[in-house]
Order: sequence, then structure tokens, then C-alpha cells
Amino acid sequence: MTPLLTVENATVESATGRIVAPVSLTLQAGRPFTILGETGSGKSLFAQAIMGLLPVGLTASGRVIIDGQVLDLADPASHRPLWGRQVGILPQEPWLALDPTMRVARQVADGHRFIRRLEAAAAMKAAADDLTALGVAGAGRKLPGELSGGMAQRVAFAAARAGGARIIIADEPTKGLDVARRDEVIALLMKEVEAGGAVLTITHDLALARQMGGDFAVMFDGSIVEQGEADMVLSAPSHDYTKQLIAADPENWNERKVPAGKRDDIVLVAEDLAKARGGRLLFSGQGLRLHKGEIVGVTGASGSGKSSLGDILLGLLKPDAGTVARALGVAPVRYQKIYQDPPSAFPGRITIGANVSDLVHLHRLDVGRIAPLMKRLKLAPELLHRLPTEVSGGELQRFALLRVLLLDPVFLFADEPTSRLDLITQQETIELLVELAREQDCAVLIVSHDTALIEKTCDRRIEIGEKGGAEASVA
Amino acid sequence: MIKAILSRLLQAVLVALLVGLLTFAMAWLLPGDVAYRIAAGRYGYDLVDTAAAAKVAAELNLDQSALTGLGWWFFDLIRLDLGASLITGAPVIEAIGRHLGHTLKLSIAAILLSLLIGPPLGILAGLHPGGWLDRSLMLVSTALRALPQFVVGLGLIIIFGLTLKLLPTAGHDHGSHLILPALTLALSLAAVSNRVARDAMVAVSRAPYYAFGRTKGLSEWQVFSRHGLRNVAVPIVTYLGIQFVSLVEGVVVVETLFAWPGIGHALVHAIFGRDVPMIQGAALVMGLMFVALNALVDTLCHLIDPRRRAA
Repeated sequence: MTPLLTVENATVESATGRIVAPVSLTLQAGRPFTILGETGSGKSLFAQAIMGLLPVGLTASGRVIIDGQVLDLADPASHRPLWGRQVGILPQEPWLALDPTMRVARQVADGHRFIRRLEAAAAMKAAADDLTALGVAGAGRKLPGELSGGMAQRVAFAAARAGGARIIIADEPTKGLDVARRDEVIALLMKEVEAGGAVLTITHDLALARQMGGDFAVMFDGSIVEQGEADMVLSAPSHDYTKQLIAADPENWNERKVPAGKRDDIVLVAEDLAKARGGRLLFSGQGLRLHKGEIVGVTGASGSGKSSLGDILLGLLKPDAGTVARALGVAPVRYQKIYQDPPSAFPGRITIGANVSDLVHLHRLDVGRIAPLMKRLKLAPELLHRLPTEVSGGELQRFALLRVLLLDPVFLFADEPTSRLDLITQQETIELLVELAREQDCAVLIVSHDTALIEKTCDRRIEIGEKGGAEASVA
Repeated sequence: MIKAILSRLLQAVLVALLVGLLTFAMAWLLPGDVAYRIAAGRYGYDLVDTAAAAKVAAELNLDQSALTGLGWWFFDLIRLDLGASLITGAPVIEAIGRHLGHTLKLSIAAILLSLLIGPPLGILAGLHPGGWLDRSLMLVSTALRALPQFVVGLGLIIIFGLTLKLLPTAGHDHGSHLILPALTLALSLAAVSNRVARDAMVAVSRAPYYAFGRTKGLSEWQVFSRHGLRNVAVPIVTYLGIQFVSLVEGVVVVETLFAWPGIGHALVHAIFGRDVPMIQGAALVMGLMFVALNALVDTLCHLIDPRRRAA
């Protein structure tokens, strides 16, 4: 096996201290390497350090050896000659990484023409060949705005390695993608590995790490706590943190389904709902009955109308056809929603405490209920004095939960409530959500792209998409 | 594209209607006796008396109602007849034809000069935001924008004309006469366009595609020329269309200041003389020029930005 890239004692430091402890690793030809870590673990900074792309204010030390060439990490400028030639960097958001005003074939041809120094025509030919090989032959004449997300990903991949780079560094390549798209990205990266290149993937996604295989490292608080073969580490983790992480994967959750008994306490009935967006029919003939205390999951590909369905049930969106009937005599304010991105669901310039007390005043709630509920949600009282940006994403989402639970909801629509959260935080949040909803006898509709999460959490599941109005039961 | 041309044509018609209406109303609302003013324009202030004014009023039928006058003007406009000057009696179209050439020469020189000054400096500043060039440009631009154009023009006259004695300050006999008025206009245009270019460059150089261009292996110059320039040009050219408003306004001031025999100069004289057909004609031509220049900007954007062609 030939090492393509070796990192020795890489560290990252800010003015206030060390963020990444010395990290050493070796990328082998024909073998993927995956670093798994949560937000703030330093994994992205580590990747940026070895590429020479650290943001201003951070300094790196250590060295990288590529092809016999030794590079000092303290001197990021010395890395630039390697970009595109030996190291290709796969952008996080391929759509934004492509020049919006240039046809994509020319963007791929950049590498062939300016780095491999081909003639303009030969470079365009090479770019067309690259795109054909990736199954997007027709994309060349298009502008990035006309590409689908998957096509943009492939084009960006082709552009990143057109200069002849055999080492691909991908930082969170699957962020925000649904399962089908994620599998595409993994296939793309594995293709490079099979061709004898090396791929370093930085991710928080356990499933991605599992599928990539090869070498694997877990990063926690700036250092690598465990390293080895992916299969070995994932099946028999030795470090506590790794164990915790694996246990937090929805695949490994305990089922918390409650068998559906005979119920007649309906909170919401929808019949024959249909909705089209942008000239495309999302769903039609969709019906749904929700009972008190019931947890229902909604799954489906991205853009299939999962969120639209929930918004229709809440009356935030008008259906094109069909009706939504709510239980009689229940205040509209008891139908509530939990948003995907907690920071954008809170006013940014007032403290969380002020926000909560506004709510209490507005609805004349009992102030005394806040403290015990916060305790249940594992929220420390001092957090109330902070701004939404000064608490973690998990804490803020639990505050969002606090806000809606104070209103005694009978129906809660949780739209991808944990997709911006890390694995362990996700598990905590979902557990609390389900537990408290059951206690308050509140019906919950959870939207998630993660089928395992829905399977383990919900009493039943609705699949939205091509099948139309199918209301499938998990059991 | 055809749709764009049609909408510009419609815009031209609306401009003609509005300009005709507004200039007419404003000319009639000006204080002073129209007949006296016109007589003064014709015979000179010293020779005006009640008899001369009455003669003018009778000859030009000034007693007719304002609406009738406006109606005739529109009727003539449909036949592409702008009428005759109340002062010289010559057809307005001839006078405007003579002045328009000068104004076009001045405007084009000003635009080209401003494009040579503003965007390149702005782009350089935008490549190093917060640097000395960026900060000094900010200061100079703000100062230039805050000063009225005639002050800028006077400043240039004092420096280059009177002190250094390098350039002529008035007239239009040879090329050097063009420099100061064009520079006055260009400076006030560039004062804004360099900021637009600077902000566009900052935004583009922070865009993920700019960073991706670098990590693809392109050199700084290659990233700039392949992925920077076109993306920066789109907002700059678009903004040029908006700047033409201040160009049209600037032409009036600058031509008067430098005695440049263009349309703005003619407009000011026509207003003094209450030469309503001439006022309307000059304003109309300037309005239409604005529409035409904006059509030109549209076309340029179309050529630069492939997204517009695709749409």
C-alpha cells in the first residue's frame, strides 16, 4: 500500500488556546479515510489546516507530506501549488461553488486547461469526457442554476479533480442531503478510491462513515480518541465517546412505539388533501387522522411535500383541495409547530428569558410552570439570561419545545426538529419531545428524512411521495 | 429579447407623454409674463415695451388656453413635428439636432472616462477591503458625491484652467475643450460607480465559487479573470443604467457651466426665454436618450450574463 498523504502532528491554535491537539494520520492510495466528529470537535478546522485554508486568526503547526514533498502547516501559502494538482477539495455546497454565470463544461475545463495546460479545445473535450463518465453528459451546456442538486455535486466533483488531483478532501459532503442523494455522493467518492486515489471525508454522519469503510477516526474535543478500520471501530468501539455516539444513532435506538389501542379522542382529521407547488403536484388524496398522544412520522424524499403537509394541517398553508377539521372546542393556539432551524425561530436580539416571559404575558400563563418544565428539559435557569446565539443548538431547540409545551398543545408539528443537531443531542431532543408529548397527551407529527429515526420513534408512519395518499402503518 | 424591446418602446412613449405634460405645466406655472419674456428673448431686454409684448402675444396666439396649446403640441408630436421656437422661429428639431451632437459627444466621453476611473479603482479596492486604497477612495467618493457638480466643475476650472493654465475652461472649438466638462461629469459618476464596483468585488471574492476557483488550482489572476470579472461586471453595468439619471441632470449643469452648446445648455436658455416648444423638445430628447441608454445597458447585461440569455 502506498501512502499518498501523511499528516504529522497537525495542531490548530487560536489566540485563546489550542483547538486541535496534535493529529497524525496517513491516507493510503485506494483507501478511504473518514473522520467522524460532532459540531465543534475541530474536525473541519483540522481539514482546513491541512489544506492551508484556515480562517484568519487561527494558526496551524505540524507538517504534511505529499508525494515526498514536505509542507509546513504554519505556512498556508506553501499549500497553494498543490491545490487542484495533487489535492482536490470537494466543496460543501456544490451549487454555490459553481460560478453562476459560466456554463459548467467550461468550469470543469478550467483544470484541464490551466493546470494540465491542454489547448482550449482539448480541455473542453476532456471536460465533456469527465461529465460523461459521471453520467451527466448533458449538463455541460447548462448554467449551475439549471442543474439539480445531484448534478451540481457531480459537476463540482469533476471540476475539483480536473487538474489531476488524486487526493480528495471532502468536508461534510452530505450535509443536508436526503438518503438517495447521500448514497450518490458516497458512490462518487468511492469511485475515486477504486481508481487508486485517496479520499479524506470529514463528517458527522455515522451512516456515511459506515458505508465508506476503510480507515476511520473519531474526533472529540480536538483530538482523535479512536482510530482503526471502520468496520472494527464501529462494531466494537473501545472509547466511551465512540460508544455513546454509536448508541445515539437512530438505527440503535430502542423502539418506543406504543401499540395503537382503540381510540376515539381525535384531535385532527384531514381528508383528500392535495397540494401543488411550482406547477408540480406534491400529493393528492392525502388523508390523516390524529389521536391524542399519538406520535406519527412523515417520511419522503426532499421536496416531496412533507413540510407542506404539516403546514396545511396547521392552517399555515392552504391546500389546493381537501379539508382539515380540528377537534371542537380546542383553542387554535394549541396547534403548534417546532421549526427545523432553532436560531431562526427565536428573535436574535432579546434574551431567551424575555422571549419566554413575553409568551407568558401574552397568553396569561402560570409563571410557576416554567421552572419545573425547564428542569424536565434539562435546561439550566441561567440560560434564560442569554441570547439565542449564546446557547447550543440542542439547548435552543429544547427552549423551542418549552415555548410550545407551555401552551398545552394538543397537536405538535415537528418539521425536521433535529436535522441541524448532532447525533447525541438529537437523541436527547427526540426522547424529551416524545416523552413530554405523551405525558401531555399531545399528538405529534414528526417530519424527518431519517427513516430509522421515524421507525424507532413513531407509532405509525406516513410515506409522502409518488405513491400518493398511502397511509402506511409501521407495525 | 423581443419582449424587452417592446417594453422599452412603450416606456419611450410614456416618457414622451409625461415629459410633454410636465414641462408644459411647469413652463406655464413659471412666474412672469410670457409675452414680455419672449419679446425680451427676441429683441433684447432694452427694447421690450408693452407694444412689443402685445405684438408677440398676438403673433403667437398666447391668449389661447393652456390646454389647447398642449393639445396642439401632442398633435404635432404624433406627426413628429416638434414645432418652432417662439424666439428664433426656427424649427425646434433643427436646433435640437445641432445641440444633440454636442451633448452626445460630451456624454459618451463622460461615460467612458467614468468607466476608466470608477470600476477599475473600485475593483482594486474591493480585492483588499479595508486597505489604504479602499479607505481613501471612500473618502474621495463621499466628498465628490457631497459636492454639487457645479462646485466640482468650478474646482477643476480653478485648478486646471486658471492656476495651471493647462486646459481651456469654456467653448467647444477643439478636443481639449471637451476634457474639463467630461471630467466633471465623469468624476461624479465614478464617485458612485467605484463604490458599486468595490462592493460587488467584495461580495464576489467572498463567494464560495471564488474560493472553489482557487482550490481548483487556478492562480489569483485566473480566478479573477475567469470567475471574478464577469460576475462583478453585471452589477456595475446594471447600475450604469441608474446612473444615467444623474448624467442627464449633470449635463444641464455642466453644459451651462462650461458654455458647452449642448441640449442642456439649450434647455436652460429656453427656460429663461419661456420658449415652451424648445423646452418640451429638449426635455423630450433627453428623456428619450435616457430610455435609449437604458436599452443599451439591457443589451450589455444580456451579453455579459448568460443567465439572462437562458431565461
